[in-house]
Amino acid sequence: MSEITVEARGLTKMFYDESRGEVRAVDGIDFQCRSGEIFGLLGANGAGKTTTLRMLATILKPTSGSATVMGREVGEEPEQVRRSLGFYSSSTALYPRLTARETIEFFARVNGYAPDEVPGRVRELVARFGIEEYADARVEKLSQGMKQKVSIARTVAHDPPVLIFDEPTVGLDVLNALDMQRVIGEFRTQGKTIIFSTHIMSEAERLCDRIAIIHGGALLACDTLEGLRTATGKRYLEDIFVYFATDREDGT
Amino acid sequence: MKSLHTVGLLYAREMRAALRERSIVINSIVIPIVLYPFMMWAMFSGIMFVRGQTEGQLSRVMVVGLPAGHEALAESLEARKVMLIAPSDTTGAAAGIHGGSLDALVEFSPLEAEGTQGTFRVRLTSTASRERSEEARSRVTVVLERYRDDWLQIQARDAGIGEEEWTGFRVRLKNRASGKEMGAFLLGLMLPLFFLIMTAVGCYHPAVDATAGERERSTWETTMSLGVSRASIVTAKYLSVASFGTMAGLLNLAAMTLTMGAIVKPLLAGSAEEIHFGLPLAGLPVMAVGAVVLAGFIAAVMMLFASFARTFKEGQAMITPFYLLMMVPAILLQQQGLTFSTTLALVPVANVVMMIREAVAGVFHWPQIAITIAVGLAMVAISLRLAVFVLRFEDVIVGSYGGSLTTLLKERWRGRDAGAQGGVR
Repeated sequence: MSEITVEARGLTKMFYDESRGEVRAVDGIDFQCRSGEIFGLLGANGAGKTTTLRMLATILKPTSGSATVMGREVGEEPEQVRRSLGFYSSSTALYPRLTARETIEFFARVNGYAPDEVPGRVRELVARFGIEEYADARVEKLSQGMKQKVSIARTVAHDPPVLIFDEPTVGLDVLNALDMQRVIGEFRTQGKTIIFSTHIMSEAERLCDRIAIIHGGALLACDTLEGLRTATGKRYLEDIFVYFATDREDGT
Repeated sequence: MKSLHTVGLLYAREMRAALRERSIVINSIVIPIVLYPFMMWAMFSGIMFVRGQTEGQLSRVMVVGLPAGHEALAESLEARKVMLIAPSDTTGAAAGIHGGSLDALVEFSPLEAEGTQGTFRVRLTSTASRERSEEARSRVTVVLERYRDDWLQIQARDAGIGEEEWTGFRVRLKNRASGKEMGAFLLGLMLPLFFLIMTAVGCYHPAVDATAGERERSTWETTMSLGVSRASIVTAKYLSVASFGTMAGLLNLAAMTLTMGAIVKPLLAGSAEEIHFGLPLAGLPVMAVGAVVLAGFIAAVMMLFASFARTFKEGQAMITPFYLLMMVPAILLQQQGLTFSTTLALVPVANVVMMIREAVAGVFHWPQIAITIAVGLAMVAISLRLAVFVLRFEDVIVGSYGGSLTTLLKERWRGRDAGAQGGVR
């Protein structure tokens, strides 16, 4: 049995909104992720996926509940938690005035990769993601596809055991989206824990070892695709999602 | 040690990125070196050009009632580029001066009183609202006064009266200041204000770029997800902004000092030959400290305001009032005779301006300098504490907060701090 790398226990986040008052964005979520696993968070826009992932990445602090990453509490050791994970989302853009090579080097160094090994690591990632040609060009000059490769390279620059991908294929064309899925699959084979949020059912079906369905801030179900099929009697993930979401809205 | 290394890495990243941004390089490096020397060169060249133009023009002066025996006066006037116009209607002449067809009217009338035979009164009419008329007045006045002195000397000599008897006393002016002191005085009048402006300009763009700019480019969350403490991030950003401010201030001081002599000397003509524009060596460390203290304070406050902005434009709008407010004490300090008192040393910004002004002149009031540095460091500490406090609120961190610094302080003071519940480190 592979080790538990990420654990959320009653994770809750409340916001204050001028018009709506207090909003419960994430409502007592529990889950565990293991090494070598792709754990999918599936939910509609505004379901609470990004807030959950931001709490794991220590960008937001839980209102109540707790979470650990590699055995460290997100509220108590935020720096160590951030060093042990790579966080990729559409709102974590690259520094436009650095070159691709400088970007990878900076993220490796600042996130605690052994200083002597940084040049080798940079060379390895530049070769692995095929960015040799434009490694010394500023990021602002790169195409969307090139930026995506550099983004992934910077996410894994310090070789973290846990990777968080928050809707990584949003805004990408089909080929780039498929390429992203392929790369995420490769990380799994390296034994990394991948937490992957999406609202695209086909992506979740294709990639995830286990899927957590999140709706209205609450975790409605969490199992393998087969387990969810068995529990609901539905074949397609879309139908499974509707099944749980409708139940929640009906209060059953 | 480890956190210093981390701050170093973050600082290097900030500086590298900032030095690749054209607007920052222009505003924080090029303009401090070039702008004011160029502006002063343009201004003084303009003055010299206008002066040259004015000096080349003839002054059109109507002379009425020039007494017999004083024809030499007319010759002297003509020698000073005064074109004598034949007398006509003096009422019309006044209108001509006003309208610009005539520059001045000189009217001679004999004195009627007993014992004043051969003497006369002169009335000179001009308008101060026209440069050419003013120049005519100046030329005629100089000629008349010189002519009167010469005439008096002749009269006294003919009457057997020695010069010392009729002059009573003479005033002799003597300037005890050396050329170096004169240069320091002139530099002290201008440099501190320009220094302040340039230090602020040097901080302005980097402060917005490091805060609102990051939000606009969506790199703010990238930075916040780095495996380092928030304090390290704030410190590195702050140090980079303060570095640009310090650099801009010092570059401006150097550029102004080096170019001042060449720019101003032609305007001061003859008397300026001896003026030496240079900074006293002993003043350089004080000026460097002043630059660091001032840039440190300005950088902290500007970053504090700009950290609420979500776009570059918003950031500029939030900083500009502070930028303008800061100029007020500096402009007031341009008054002559102001001393660097202990009270003044307690006023942020104004104290550094006074400190620089005195250092340029080679004057050092050490207690006031010590107070200035202490006040500067205290202001920096307060601003940074406030910045760290503000960054505890995650709605500010994630950029979802829509208010300003004052709004946030008011709200949190009232205790409605739902956004703050998840304070992050």
